[in-house]
Amino acid sequence: MTYPLLITAFIISTCGLIYELIAGTIASYLLGDSITQFSIVIGVYLFSMGVGSYLSRFIERNVVGTFIKVEMLVGLVGGCSAAGLFLLFEHVESFRILLYATVSLIGTLIGLEVPLLMRVLKDRLEFKDLVSQIFTFDYVGALIASLLFPLVLVPVLGLMRSSFLFGILNVVVALWTIHLFREELPWLRVLRASAYALIVLLVCGFAFSDKLMALSESSAFPDNIIYSTSTPYQRIVLTGNNRDFKLYLNGNLQFSSKDEYRYHEALIHPALASLKSPSEVLVLGGGDGLAVRELLKYPALKKIVLVDLDKKMTDLFSEPGLLSQLNQGSLRDPKVTVINQDAFVWLRGCKNKFDFIVVDFPDPSNFSLGKLYSDTFYRALKQVLKPEGLLVVQSTSPYYAKNSFWCVVNTLNQVGLQTTPYHAYVPSFGDWGYVLASNEAFKKADSYPPGLRYLSAAAFDQMLYFPDDMRPTVKAVNKLNNQALVHLFESEWSEYVEAH
Amino acid sequence: MSKLISRAAFLRGALALGALGLAGKSIYERQSLLRQIPCRVLGPSRGLGHKLRDGVALLPGESKDSLQKKVLIIGAGIAGLSAAWWLKRNGFSDFVLIELEKHAGGNAASGRNEISAYPWGAHYVPLANEESKYVRLLFEELGIISSYDQQSLPLYNELYLCHEPQEKLFKDGSFQEGLVPKRGLQPKEKDELSRFFALVAELRSKIGKDSRPAFAIPLDQSSQDEEYLQLDRISMAEWLKENRFSTRPLLWYVNYCCRDDYGSSIDNVSAWAALHYFAGRRGKAGNAEMNSVVTWPEGNGFLVESLRKYSEEQIMTATLAARIIADGDRLETLCLKDAGGKELCIKSSALIFSAPRFLAQYLIQDHEKHNNADSKSLVYAPWLVANVSLRQVPSCRSELFAWDNVDYYSDSLGYVMATHQNISTRTGATVLTYYYPMSAEEPMLARRKLLNLDEKLWSEKIIADLERLNPGIRSDILSIDFWPWGHGMIRPSVGYIWGENRRKMKENSGQIFFAHSDMSGISNFEEAQYHGVEAAKAVLAKFGQS
Repeated sequence: MTYPLLITAFIISTCGLIYELIAGTIASYLLGDSITQFSIVIGVYLFSMGVGSYLSRFIERNVVGTFIKVEMLVGLVGGCSAAGLFLLFEHVESFRILLYATVSLIGTLIGLEVPLLMRVLKDRLEFKDLVSQIFTFDYVGALIASLLFPLVLVPVLGLMRSSFLFGILNVVVALWTIHLFREELPWLRVLRASAYALIVLLVCGFAFSDKLMALSESSAFPDNIIYSTSTPYQRIVLTGNNRDFKLYLNGNLQFSSKDEYRYHEALIHPALASLKSPSEVLVLGGGDGLAVRELLKYPALKKIVLVDLDKKMTDLFSEPGLLSQLNQGSLRDPKVTVINQDAFVWLRGCKNKFDFIVVDFPDPSNFSLGKLYSDTFYRALKQVLKPEGLLVVQSTSPYYAKNSFWCVVNTLNQVGLQTTPYHAYVPSFGDWGYVLASNEAFKKADSYPPGLRYLSAAAFDQMLYFPDDMRPTVKAVNKLNNQALVHLFESEWSEYVEAH
Repeated sequence: MSKLISRAAFLRGALALGALGLAGKSIYERQSLLRQIPCRVLGPSRGLGHKLRDGVALLPGESKDSLQKKVLIIGAGIAGLSAAWWLKRNGFSDFVLIELEKHAGGNAASGRNEISAYPWGAHYVPLANEESKYVRLLFEELGIISSYDQQSLPLYNELYLCHEPQEKLFKDGSFQEGLVPKRGLQPKEKDELSRFFALVAELRSKIGKDSRPAFAIPLDQSSQDEEYLQLDRISMAEWLKENRFSTRPLLWYVNYCCRDDYGSSIDNVSAWAALHYFAGRRGKAGNAEMNSVVTWPEGNGFLVESLRKYSEEQIMTATLAARIIADGDRLETLCLKDAGGKELCIKSSALIFSAPRFLAQYLIQDHEKHNNADSKSLVYAPWLVANVSLRQVPSCRSELFAWDNVDYYSDSLGYVMATHQNISTRTGATVLTYYYPMSAEEPMLARRKLLNLDEKLWSEKIIADLERLNPGIRSDILSIDFWPWGHGMIRPSVGYIWGENRRKMKENSGQIFFAHSDMSGISNFEEAQYHGVEAAKAVLAKFGQS
C-alpha cells in the first residue's frame, strides 16, 4: 500500500503544477503582461499551499476520508478551472479576483494534500524515509508537469482539455485511494458514487471542450477586452485601455487609436484636398466615423452620406463616450446622413452623384466581401461619381498582398477609370495601400487643411512611389464570376498567417 | 445547525451533478435529433391532373361560360410562355394562355419565403450558342446580354453570371473546385478524363456534311449526318464501353451529368443525348469563361416572371383543360376553373399544346386523328426537389458552400445555394435546393413512391446527406419543403431523339400545334423556348402574319 500512495503523491504534484501553469497561461492570455501574471499566480499559488498545509493540522479524525474528499475537490475545481476562467472572463466585473480566488482555492487544497498523505503514511515508513520519498515523488512530478505542459499539453490538447484531463486524473487518484482503504472508510458507497459522478462530469467537459472554447473568444485577443457585442452581421470587440484601444470586427483589427490618424488622413486628404469645390461626399463602410471626422475638416462640404451595413456599429460610434471622442462626434454632425444598408444594394438604387466617394470596406477575405471589389461594383460606383469627381478605395497591403492590391488597381482601370495608387505606413497594420480613381487625370493638391499630423505634400510624394518588392507578379481583374481578388488575397495572406 | 452543508447533502448533490453530466452528452445529441423540423409536401396539383387520366365527364354545351379567342395556348411553362412572348412581340394578342397550376412556370417554377426566392426545378441557362437565336433575342430584351464587344462576343450582365465559387465536389473527405474529379487520381483515371475531354472538344467543333454543327442548340438544328445520328441508337454506357472508358471517376462524372440533365443513368440515355450535353454547349461571352451559366436566386423562375410580364393579361391560371374537341377549323376546349369549381368553354381557331406531350392523348378527343405519334411510349424521369431553409450560410468543413455543391458518394445531385447570387454582405439565413432524380428505379415505381411521399423519411435522408458535407448542420435547419415531380423530365432514351416517333410528334394538324421540350427529348430552357416560338410562328403563318 505504501508505493501506490507514493505514486499518488507523484500524480498529485503533477496535477497541482499543471493547474498552476494553466492559471498562469490564461492570466497572461487574457490580461497580457506575462511576467507579472505568472509571477503573481505562482506567488499566490505557493502561498495558498502554505495556507493549506497550515490548515491540515485542524483535521483530526478520518484523515484518509478527508484526503479523498480534498482530492475530489481538487479534481473538480482544477479540472473546471480553465473552462470557468475562459467562460466567465467576459461576464465578471473584476476578472483578477476570480482568477486569484481560483488559484488560492486550488493552492490551498493541494497544500492540504501532502501533509495529509504524510500522516496516512506515517505509520508505514520511518520518518526519514517518509520525508525523502514523498518529496522525491513530489518533485519528479513537478518536472514531468513542467515538461509536459509546453511540449505536449498546450499544443495537442489545448488549455481547456488539459485542465479537464488532469481533473479526471485527480479523481482517479481519489478512486484508487478509496479502493486501497475500502476496509476502513465510512460512507464508502457514497464516496465512490460521487467520484464516478465527477469523472463523468469532467469527461463531458473534456468531450465538449471545443464547444466551450467556441463560447469564449477571449483567447483570440492580445489585450484586455473592454467592450464586445454581436450584431447580426459581425462581432465587434474593443480591446485596450484609455490610452490606446483597438477595434476588431470578426477578429480582424480595424484600427488602433494610436495610429489610426495615419490611415484616415491618407485615405481622405490626397483626394479631397485636390478637388476644386467639393460639396457632396459618399462614404461606403467606415461606420466608425473616423473617415467622416477627416471629411469634416473641409467646412465647404455640404452633405456627407455614410452607408454602413451595421446599425449597431454606427450607433456605437455615435453615442457619446470613448468612441465618439475618437471620431469627435462626427456621426452626429448635421451634415452627415447615416444609412444602414448593403452598399451594393443601396448603390444600385442611388440617384444622386457625388464629388468624392470613399470606399472603406473590410479586406476582401471572403466571397461576399469580394463582390464589393468587383468590376460590376465599380461600374455602379462610376454611375454615382460626378464627371470631375474622385473616389478612393482602401485596398489592403501592397507589401503583404501585392497582387491583391494591384488587382484592385486593374479592376478600377477595367471599368474605364484612371487610377493613382499610393501607400502609407500605419504601424499597427503595416504598409497599407489605397487607390485613387477618377474619370480625368488626377492632379495633386496644392495645399492640405491645417492640423494634419501625418499628411503633407512631401509625405504624399513619397506615398506615390512603389519600390520593386511591391510590384505585382500576376495581372488579374476581379469579377463576380471569378473572384480573382479573394483567391489572390487568400493565398497571399495565408503565407503570413502561417508564418506567425 | 445548517451553517455547513451536511456531508450527505454534499454527496447527494455531487451524485446528482454526476448523473447530470452522464446524461449531458446523450441529451444534447438526442435533443437535436428529436427537434421536429417542419416539413411540407408541396408540388404540382396531382389531384386535378389525375382527373384527366381517369377521365372527366364533361360535355360540350352552351350552358357554360364561354370565351372566344383566335388562339388558345395550353400550359404556361417555358414553351407556352415563349409562344405567348412571340405572339405578343409580333403584335398578336388575340389569345389566352391557360395553366393548370396557380402560377405559371412549369418545370421552371420557383418559390419564395422570408429568407430568399428559390427554384423548384430548372435553375440555370448556359451561355447561349450562336445558333440559339431565340435565346439570344430574349437575353438581349431582358438585359441578360447587355451588349457585344469588338469581337462581337456577347457581354452578359455580371449580376446574372454565376458568381465564384461555382461548383464544389466532395470526394475523399475534402472539397475540390469544379465537379470533374481531380484529386488523388490514378494515372489511368487521369488519362481517361483527359481523353474524354479531348474527344468532347473535338465533337464540339465538328461540322457535319450538311454544314451544320454536329450538336446544336436547339437540337433540331444539329447535323443530320449519319455519322452522328447513329450515336442515338446506342446508350451512353455502350458508347463509353466502345471507346474503352472504364475508370470510376470518369464514369461517375458522365453518369452524374446524365442524371443531372436527363434524370437518368448512362444505361438509359442515348449516347447522342449525353454527348449533346458535353459537346452542344459552345456559348461564349466577352466577359465569362466558356462553360459559364446565368442563374438567379429563384433559378429559371426569373425567366418565367420576365416572360409572364409580356402577356400578363392573357394568362389564366388555375384552369385545367379537360377536353379538346376539334371540328374542322373550330376548336372547343372544355376547362375546369379553380380546382374544378367552374366550367368554361374556350373556342378558338388554333391551339398551341404546350403542356407535357403525354397529356395530349388524354385531352384531345380522337387524338390519333390529329397526330398518330405514340405519346404513350414516352418515358419520364421522376424527381424529388427539396428546399432546405437554414438559419445561417453553412460552411462545409471550414469552406463556404459554393453555388452548386456535390457529394461524390451521394445519390442526390447535390445542393444549390439560393443566396449565392446576392450582392449583399449579410451572411444570414439561406435556402439550399436539393435535387434528387429517381434514376435507380423504374419510373412507374418511383412515381408511386413520390405519390405517397414519406416526408419524415426523406427529410432524414436529406439531413444525413447534408451532414456529410457539413457535420452539425442539422441544428441550423429551419424547415424542409418537398416538391415531387412525378413526370419531371422526358428521358432521351436510345433511339428517341432521332427516331420516327419524335418526328411524328412534332407534326401539327393545321389547328393543333405542339410545343414542349418533350418534342426535343431533352428538358431544358432552350428546347422549350424553341418549340414555343416555332409553334407561335406556325400559328402566325396560318393567319397570314409573319
